[in-house]
Amino acid sequence: MPFELTLPFTAIVGQEQMKRALMLNAVDPAIGGVLIRGDRGTAKSSAVRALARLLPDYDAVEGCPYHCDPAIPSRYCDECRRRASAPTLPSPASGGGNRLPIVRLPMRIIDLPINASEDRLVGSIDIEAAVRAGTRRFQPGVLAEANRNLLYVDEVNLLDDHLVDVLLDAAAMGVNVVEREGMSVVHPSHFILVGTMNPEEGELRPQLLDRFGLCVDVVTLTDIDERLRVMELERDFLQSPRTVHEASAEREARLRDLLQAASGRLTRVSVPEAIRTLIARLCLDGSVAGHRADLVVARAARAICALRGGPAVELPDVLEALELALAHRRREPLTDKQAQVQELASRAAEQLAQIQAATPSETAPSVRSEVTQQEGASGGESNEGWTTSESRESPTNEAIEPESDAVIQLRTFTVKKLDPSTKSETKRGRYVRSSQTERVTDVAFDATVRAAAPHQLSRRQAAPDSTNQLQLESQDLRQKVRERKTGNLIVFVGDAAASMDAEQRMLATKGAILSLLRHAYVRRDKVALVAFSGRNARVVLRPTSSVDLAERRLERLSIGGTTPLTHGLMTGLKLIKTERLRDPQVYPLLVLISDGRGNISLFGEEPLLEAQRMAGQIKQEGVRAMVIDSTRDFGSQPGYPRNRVTSLYGAYAFNVCGDLAERLGGRYYGLFDLSQSSIVDSVQREMLRTGSA
Amino acid sequence: MERFVYPFSAIVGQDKMKLALVLNAIHPAIGGVLIRGEKGTGKSTAVRALARLLPELTVVADCLYRCDPDASESLCSDCQDRLARGETLPRARRRMRVVELPINASEDRVVGAIDIEAAIKSGERRFEPGVLAEANRNILYVDEVNLLDDHLVDVLLDAAAMGVNVVEREGISIWHPARFILVGTMNPEEGDLRPQLLDRFGLTVDVEGIKDIGQRVQIVERREEWESHPAEFSERFAEQDAEIGTRIAEAIVRFPHVVMPAGILRALAELNVSLQVDGHRADLVGRKASQALAAYRGVPEVGVPEVNEVAEMVLAHRVKASGRRELGTIAQNLPSASRASRS
Repeated sequence: MPFELTLPFTAIVGQEQMKRALMLNAVDPAIGGVLIRGDRGTAKSSAVRALARLLPDYDAVEGCPYHCDPAIPSRYCDECRRRASAPTLPSPASGGGNRLPIVRLPMRIIDLPINASEDRLVGSIDIEAAVRAGTRRFQPGVLAEANRNLLYVDEVNLLDDHLVDVLLDAAAMGVNVVEREGMSVVHPSHFILVGTMNPEEGELRPQLLDRFGLCVDVVTLTDIDERLRVMELERDFLQSPRTVHEASAEREARLRDLLQAASGRLTRVSVPEAIRTLIARLCLDGSVAGHRADLVVARAARAICALRGGPAVELPDVLEALELALAHRRREPLTDKQAQVQELASRAAEQLAQIQAATPSETAPSVRSEVTQQEGASGGESNEGWTTSESRESPTNEAIEPESDAVIQLRTFTVKKLDPSTKSETKRGRYVRSSQTERVTDVAFDATVRAAAPHQLSRRQAAPDSTNQLQLESQDLRQKVRERKTGNLIVFVGDAAASMDAEQRMLATKGAILSLLRHAYVRRDKVALVAFSGRNARVVLRPTSSVDLAERRLERLSIGGTTPLTHGLMTGLKLIKTERLRDPQVYPLLVLISDGRGNISLFGEEPLLEAQRMAGQIKQEGVRAMVIDSTRDFGSQPGYPRNRVTSLYGAYAFNVCGDLAERLGGRYYGLFDLSQSSIVDSVQREMLRTGSA
Repeated sequence: MERFVYPFSAIVGQDKMKLALVLNAIHPAIGGVLIRGEKGTGKSTAVRALARLLPELTVVADCLYRCDPDASESLCSDCQDRLARGETLPRARRRMRVVELPINASEDRVVGAIDIEAAIKSGERRFEPGVLAEANRNILYVDEVNLLDDHLVDVLLDAAAMGVNVVEREGISIWHPARFILVGTMNPEEGDLRPQLLDRFGLTVDVEGIKDIGQRVQIVERREEWESHPAEFSERFAEQDAEIGTRIAEAIVRFPHVVMPAGILRALAELNVSLQVDGHRADLVGRKASQALAAYRGVPEVGVPEVNEVAEMVLAHRVKASGRRELGTIAQNLPSASRASRS
């Protein structure tokens, strides 16, 4: 990324918390990165890119593609390990040992675009070397570059699922394990993970969420003066980026020095025992999942303390760290942020007083030195991102594996897969990786070349006349695996007949459709609406993902007289069939909302019999369905029998809707025991149930 | 390339659309325009016609991305290397082109991919630039942008926002400049764009078929005349077209010197705050669009009329559904707001 195209960090207006979180990571990369959530257009990406200029330099082994830290042999890549231990020619400078050549590198921001392919993320065989020289050489990927650097994922919530898996694996282990194309490589991959996202576009998987040390929510500035400054800054920057950079050069340099001084001080900042206990307690009280929070809070508090130049972590440091570290780890979101933060502060102060009272001797200065010593040890380890002179001298830093318990925690965590994306059989969609199949219809060229690469030398010897450098054979061919968000199609078949009498019923139905639509938007689902009343059924809303459009159509939806139930079901089915023609991979769900009292015949038969037959047909077509009964209220009638009623004219209590649900092969709900949000839940559940089957 | 392009000044009506296009031509940083409306309302005609009017660009003659030799900060890495080696970059003049992105485009065509021929013939790993590379310093036209696969829209708008295309795929790791005037069209009946993506478009205009009978007749007549005698027809409008071209060229020069009074900026920010527009793009685009309009009009200082005129284009796609009703009263709000801020 070209240097001049990004704003200087210090020029960014407002958003102090975001800047603070980024700065803390520059002070101590072991904090584990930051996730920035917020509205579109609030300088999220700009701030991250601007941070590049403030990051420290580090020592690395010269010529190593992973920039291994010469001071931490336990984290060497294979090559560095070999170089270090091999009885190489004794060089006069190294004084007998195998000291590796050292080079000073700036810490960088490595971009992971969301459309990156897997081979670039993990690395793959070097095509050029393979084809030209016939050697099997590893071409390092983004994870290699990211080692000891900052890995930035913009729109991280849109990252492909399998890339997320790879990323999580690497982040958890600190290594990248590559087993592909006949290569087997393991290399270190410790990185600061920084992501930005707009929550409107969908949530992040909890596993990935927990990977980010800190999290900040940014909002649009509402202060007029600040907004003016933003506009002026943009104007100046567009006119001449150089001038803006020159104008803030001094401030940037000062901040950079400040950050570097703070990170140098880091190991000397002590975390008193009382504070540690407090952190553990607060995390426990704060309904936080996992142990990572404790670690992150402690580290962030220490970085905050180092930044202000204090000798030991104090309560305000902890409180600030807590806010940054817990935002995304609370099981329940804060309802009234300001009040709760204040309450937390006072509770923390109380607890600290208690702890200190309970162990008066611990806080005495005589004990402090011991604590400091401990801290020094773990402080060295936490400087994993780069080496300061202190940590290089500290031999203890290899023994500590701070992440291990957190890893276990993470592994036992299972997440239900909500993602609607499916492997696409057609040639549409994003090419995510390749596979070996019998009949290749969609050639993954890069993968094919990589597969053929190792055999080039021998094949060329076998066919010396060929003019092509690359000799392909049929077994090299690889198929592209494409992925496309197909999304679901939810077709509501709604009763607009007068028998839906009470207006509030119609309101409840409309509300349910709208709230579903809002969910559908995030999941890229489509929603359609068929209404039936009078003597026919109409498609009120063609399949759409537009909330606005649906809202307008729903407002206009009127209520008619009779209940042509069969018409409704048939129109719904027709609609689904048409959509299937357009896109064979669409995943339809028909939701019938009605009282089930069909009284208009379509084929000249008994209306209810017709409806039942239509329901059977829908099931035969393989369409999933569910029925929401607008007359039933299970809440007030506990234990209402759901059993199948065989006799049509049998009892007064014949449950038409229950019967239809049975014939449709779907679930059956009552409208009034479902609040709007639980209708959404049940529909979502329905999708998952059949989706996973 | 087509020999005859329908003249810009011969397009009847659709003044908003034409203005939005012109503003982007004056100051591409406005961030493109999204044209919402029915088929057959002259959208693509206008875009093509506009391209012909724009002043020629100075480019590095043999650069794949047509880098600007005078903007050292946005050169591609190749050109930067050449400069560093002490080479002088060869210059050439090029017309701006309309690069089209078909909705069935595959991702590798959009962002670029590995060059298959080079790989087979010589075993070289070379980058074959895609549409985004071609679009650098041109106009990128995406018809039916709402039907484009979601991930492609992401890629497209990412590149548009950063002005850079970052490629990490198929064994290729590269970045190149991708600054273009993005023009998208969509028919809202067929589904919306996600708000996140909408926001990335600088301006929106809603077009509809012209209702005026006289104008409708005129459209048909002109079209027929153009189809039967394109040369004469183009000739007839050449002068007017040239005049618009000159005005745009002058406006580009004038743009940086147009004064933006603090009171107007303040009013703009206040307006956006009161409409609860998410993010700051509305402020930024509003500033640039009104300044470009002033430059086009030859006004030395941006005033309330300029802001008013661009307000709808800037805000139409950024105001939430609930705020849409308030949008109608901007014209009344703005003067009072700016007066208040001056006092």
